[in-house]
Amino acid sequence: MSSDEKGEPGRSESVSGGGPGAGGGVGGAGPEAGPEAGPEAGAGPMFELPPELAIDADVARRVMVGFIRNQLRQAGFGRALLGLSGGIDSALVAFLVAQAIGPESMLCVLMPYRTSSPESVNHARLVVDRLGCASDLVDISPIVDGYFGRDGDGGAGGAAARDAAPLRRGNFMARARMCVLYDRSVLWGGLVAGTGNKTESLIGYSTLFGDSACAFNPIGDLYKSQVRQVAAEIGVPELIIRKAPSADLWPGQTDEDEAGFSYPELDRLLFWMIDKRRTDEELAAMGFPGPAIARVKRLVAVSEFKRQVPPVAKLGPRTTGVDYLYPRRRPGSAR
Amino acid sequence: MQPLRIALAQLAPRLGVLDDNLARHSETLTAARSAGADLVVFPELGLTGYQLQDLAAEVAMRADDPRLAGLAADAAGMSAVVSFVEEAADHRLFISAALLEDGEVRFVHRKLFLPTYGLFDERRFFAAGDLLRATDSRLGIRLGIAVCEDFWHLAVPETLALDGAQILINVSSSPGRDLAAIHEVGLGTAASWRTLMRTYAQLTTSFVVFCNRVGMDETISFWGGSEVIAPSGEAVFTAPLFDEGLHFVDVELGDVRRERIGLPLLRDERPELHLRELRRILAGRTDMAIDQASEAPDGEKAGR
Repeated sequence: MSSDEKGEPGRSESVSGGGPGAGGGVGGAGPEAGPEAGPEAGAGPMFELPPELAIDADVARRVMVGFIRNQLRQAGFGRALLGLSGGIDSALVAFLVAQAIGPESMLCVLMPYRTSSPESVNHARLVVDRLGCASDLVDISPIVDGYFGRDGDGGAGGAAARDAAPLRRGNFMARARMCVLYDRSVLWGGLVAGTGNKTESLIGYSTLFGDSACAFNPIGDLYKSQVRQVAAEIGVPELIIRKAPSADLWPGQTDEDEAGFSYPELDRLLFWMIDKRRTDEELAAMGFPGPAIARVKRLVAVSEFKRQVPPVAKLGPRTTGVDYLYPRRRPGSAR
Repeated sequence: MQPLRIALAQLAPRLGVLDDNLARHSETLTAARSAGADLVVFPELGLTGYQLQDLAAEVAMRADDPRLAGLAADAAGMSAVVSFVEEAADHRLFISAALLEDGEVRFVHRKLFLPTYGLFDERRFFAAGDLLRATDSRLGIRLGIAVCEDFWHLAVPETLALDGAQILINVSSSPGRDLAAIHEVGLGTAASWRTLMRTYAQLTTSFVVFCNRVGMDETISFWGGSEVIAPSGEAVFTAPLFDEGLHFVDVELGDVRRERIGLPLLRDERPELHLRELRRILAGRTDMAIDQASEAPDGEKAGR
């Protein structure tokens, strides 16, 4: 089960070094990339932006804001909600949704578990305060503990759940949040906005039917480095941009420790591998280490299923996704 | 000479909602007439939306459909280019652009090149046209009409210009993509299109009118940025990216004459040479089933 879930034990290699332009700060990345230290936080650039990943943040913002409006309008909804973790991805989506439909039409749901970092909730509150939107706090501890048990008391999952590894618990938490979010979506009368980025989607660092579940995802084609760039541009609080990304599924967890990659390195490798179709040989010639190339290729391949709708066995004359091909949103599709 | 007033209808069609889009075209034509437009250009599949998939058959119209005739009536006194899914008598579906003049459908261009790669899947749903001709117009000059991808093939603007067109019109639904800070206006697609448009205008010494839609179909954002380029290759007008709008651009048709006198590229074209060499190349293709050049080891490449 571990291979289809968030987290992968036993990772050791890392992407180090890199090819042309690797390791550069943000200084030379063009006029749009200016994440210099603001008044809010410490010295130095807020993050490292590989030059080839620099985008025109304003064009990206316009496209994503238009996308959110369009998805909602075509579905017949005027409101949206999202799970706000305190991290940069969901913070950026909150800012984008607020721009698209106004903060009054958005609900942010904070769903900490009892071991979640208090900092996460504080950072989420910072976003809520900054945007002036509605928020709701749902402690998922009783749901999760109700299944796995707590302090020696058995849960609904019985003996098979009692000693579950952190990975299983983490996936369960992600799915519990999905349940809460979709329940609150009925109450709020809005669609669930997705908050997963392209980097985690490509390497499969997400929980199927958990954090990846959503009605639409505005940032799913942005690498983490690009999320940071747009977040800085749009006004996401600097300490959220600066902190180490974490799924916060267990104390002290950080994405980069867990993956053995730094995001700028991983983003660059994925960009050249996927977007620019470079072969392994070409990637190696650019300076990417062979083991890193092999490992990232494998991560991408084994997580293909997470990025696609589950397949249906072809039997009838017309089969959804095969030869019954309609736009999701078409005349009559709005509620 | 009276300037020619071109109206660029940079609209966001509603996907599959033919009636709404027809009404929108009709209102736009009325607005264009009040503003004194001579030529009104709407984007590719402005009447239906782009990402139709299996909806294509449901929104298809014959070229003699009364709804098109209705639009033609709305366009009275002007020339208008509108685009729709055309169903032929034999039920093939085409992406077509129609020239509406004097209350009737004067001319129909069927999209010649159907991109079926990357994010495009047009060949699955549509047939490719096989006529490439400029057309007379009430404007007193000939027009060359093409649809989007048609302009990614050099022969199209060239042939239209050789067929007498002085205004090349491209109607598009170009999806914005390849976001990168290095590109002009931050969008790879926009940068490429701008290069093409300026090049064609200069090489054909014709006006180029590009009308690209805005709005979104499903996951795709269309970037707009409609333009009018002078025969010198300089942009006369560039519409904003992503925003809807009806833009009016006045041009001097005399610029075509001035440019062609001063820079007689069309006079110097050698279509007979081109044709001769094309015949040779095509004849050679019959024995090119296997690409020997790429199979042969270095140093043994077959001379061709």
